[in-house]
Amino acid sequence: MPKKILIITTNHSSYPGADAVGQARLGYGANTYIIRVPDPVMFPEDFYLRAYAKGIAGIIIMSSGSDCPYEGAYERLSKRIARVYEKMKAKGIAANRLKLTTICTVCRAAFLKEISEMEKAVAAI
Amino acid sequence: MDEKLTEASSKDNYRQEPRVGVYVCHCGGNISDIIDVKAVAAALAKYPGVTVAREYAFMCSSNGQDLIAEDIKNLGVNRTVVAACSPSLHELTFRNVLQRAGVNPYLHEHINIREQASWVHKADHDGATAKAIKLAQAGVEKVLRKDALNAIRVAAEPRVAVIGGGAAGMRAALSAAGKGLEAVILEKGPRLGGKLLELGKMYPSGEEGPAAAKKLEDLVLAEPKITVHTGAEIDFVSGFVGNFVINFKKPDGNMAQVKAGALIMATGYEHYKPYKGEFGYGEDANVVTLPEFIGLLKNAPAGRLEYGGREIKSLAMIHCVGSRQVEGVHKPQADGKVNDYCSRVCCTAALHTANQLKDKYPGVRVYDIYRDIRTYGMKHEEYYDKASRDNVLFIRHNEADQPAVTSDRSGHTVKVKDVLTWGEELELKADLLVLVTGLMPADISLIKSQLKLPSSADRFLQEVHPKLRPVELANSGIFVAGTAQYPMDVTEAMASAGTAAAKAGILLAEPDIPLEPFVAVVDEHKCTGCGLCPPECSYDGALTMGEKNGKKIAVVNPALCKGCGACVAVCPERAIDVAGWTLDQFDAMVDAIAKE
Repeated sequence: MPKKILIITTNHSSYPGADAVGQARLGYGANTYIIRVPDPVMFPEDFYLRAYAKGIAGIIIMSSGSDCPYEGAYERLSKRIARVYEKMKAKGIAANRLKLTTICTVCRAAFLKEISEMEKAVAAI
Repeated sequence: MDEKLTEASSKDNYRQEPRVGVYVCHCGGNISDIIDVKAVAAALAKYPGVTVAREYAFMCSSNGQDLIAEDIKNLGVNRTVVAACSPSLHELTFRNVLQRAGVNPYLHEHINIREQASWVHKADHDGATAKAIKLAQAGVEKVLRKDALNAIRVAAEPRVAVIGGGAAGMRAALSAAGKGLEAVILEKGPRLGGKLLELGKMYPSGEEGPAAAKKLEDLVLAEPKITVHTGAEIDFVSGFVGNFVINFKKPDGNMAQVKAGALIMATGYEHYKPYKGEFGYGEDANVVTLPEFIGLLKNAPAGRLEYGGREIKSLAMIHCVGSRQVEGVHKPQADGKVNDYCSRVCCTAALHTANQLKDKYPGVRVYDIYRDIRTYGMKHEEYYDKASRDNVLFIRHNEADQPAVTSDRSGHTVKVKDVLTWGEELELKADLLVLVTGLMPADISLIKSQLKLPSSADRFLQEVHPKLRPVELANSGIFVAGTAQYPMDVTEAMASAGTAAAKAGILLAEPDIPLEPFVAVVDEHKCTGCGLCPPECSYDGALTMGEKNGKKIAVVNPALCKGCGACVAVCPERAIDVAGWTLDQFDAMVDAIAKE
């Protein structure tokens, strides 16, 4: 079975960015599952650890970065993800199975690059 | 007007047994050419909680919508999952189907198997089909955990406050008044007009800036629905959509207040001010900015161009001063960042000015030193053509090789490496240097901090989406008009102002405003009153600690909450969630996706 990659996108930015990749008829692997949220800042540390425990191989958080419309959300998210990395290390989960990145509504190349890099990371599991 | 808030949402108002209908769209062949839609529907028909699963050629068509409505009526379907195109296109369509059929519209989940499946997995039909099944199953898990939600309704002041009385502000107020709204303009300057008052002949009409300002001002002052406060110094802005309050100081020192249902930020721009010594500016009298030169040209007598009592026979314009700056090459601004954006309008303004100069003083030699010419507007390229015909000499440099200026009594010498002659080093003598300066946003830091307005990396106000919601800020009820958003010319500013006024008019068309109910909700039975969540909230008054039945609990003001979910992550009891986007829903989605 292909190793599954969970992609967390934002309603305002990276979800339309993922749509833009489709509109351009670009391609990537079907082992990718995109979910959308107002902002990934809502997920506690344990959400990610639980996903790995359930069998998700890699997680890409495609945030809105500095363009985030929510005040202070990106800064909080960055700090939280740093704590997730610490917990992953304690559990022996490779750090490259989680990636926090920024994808805008038209960031097609960056979207594909992130998936390509995560594919390599999960292939090594 | 008193604030009236109806209940934001309820977690207890929908207790029917869930019966999920799943609908898989072919989208003509857009989906079904790649994804085996029959296999998807068959897999979902057997999934726990699903009452019926169907596939159809076009779910968004009338017939497709009728399929859902009939299942609601005949099979008791009370939640739906539609696997189709992006939710940006048809999520609302299907919510409306539910509403018309008597089901709460928020008991719907939209799954994207076109843009994010069939269109991107063309070579992997089996993989795309397996993915579509998993996504639809995750959608079922999500919708099973959804609660019926009620739109938030906020009683609104039937008035729009326009901050800034320049071209955009006046146009926005006039457009709002034309839609029957009251409008109040708050202008910090002594009169209406803003930067229009400084402009000379404007492109494309050739009309003088002050004359255009006067025309708009006359219309504004003749409109009984518009109130104007000039010399208004804003002291404090607060409130939320439908109920904003602006306190300001009048020229006589007395305080006044405006209440408004919507705000239009028409706060404009400032010219980039070169630092002392930048191309000799501030050190040599014969170095001016383009706005300063426009003022000079406007008042200069015919026959002989003079500056500082000296005849100007040659002039060099240097583009991109304060724009498209490069880290390590240019001096950063006060916030430590360079202005790496293009100010858009300066190229056309410079060429338009060069053409006026050549018309008035054909003998003056003009050098135009640029990195790129961006005359982006309709027919603006004609200004470039005319300047070329009138022997304006264009010299192009690259970003690393900035022009170097030395000055002496005989004038300025500009050394520049010209890429149009394959890197030849040129030395040009000029009596006057004109720095084509860019635009920076006006300093509205006080209002921005009080209302928590979002800024782009370029410090201008940032819209929610450049194409889908181009004049709305993330703060509900606040719109942006003109150059407060990004550098634009008067024509664009007027169009943007009309759009902002139209959006404000739509918002305030009814006496109360319905809002998406995706705001934080507290389960008061689970909340232990630990107080961890309010410090996570960036919006004043949106999340506070309160008391109910003698118990300390977190309390959400749904009109102020933006629904980001920052509070959700820190609750150890999972007592707070964003309505419609709960952690339990996402855990269940992940389980469905991860399951082999």
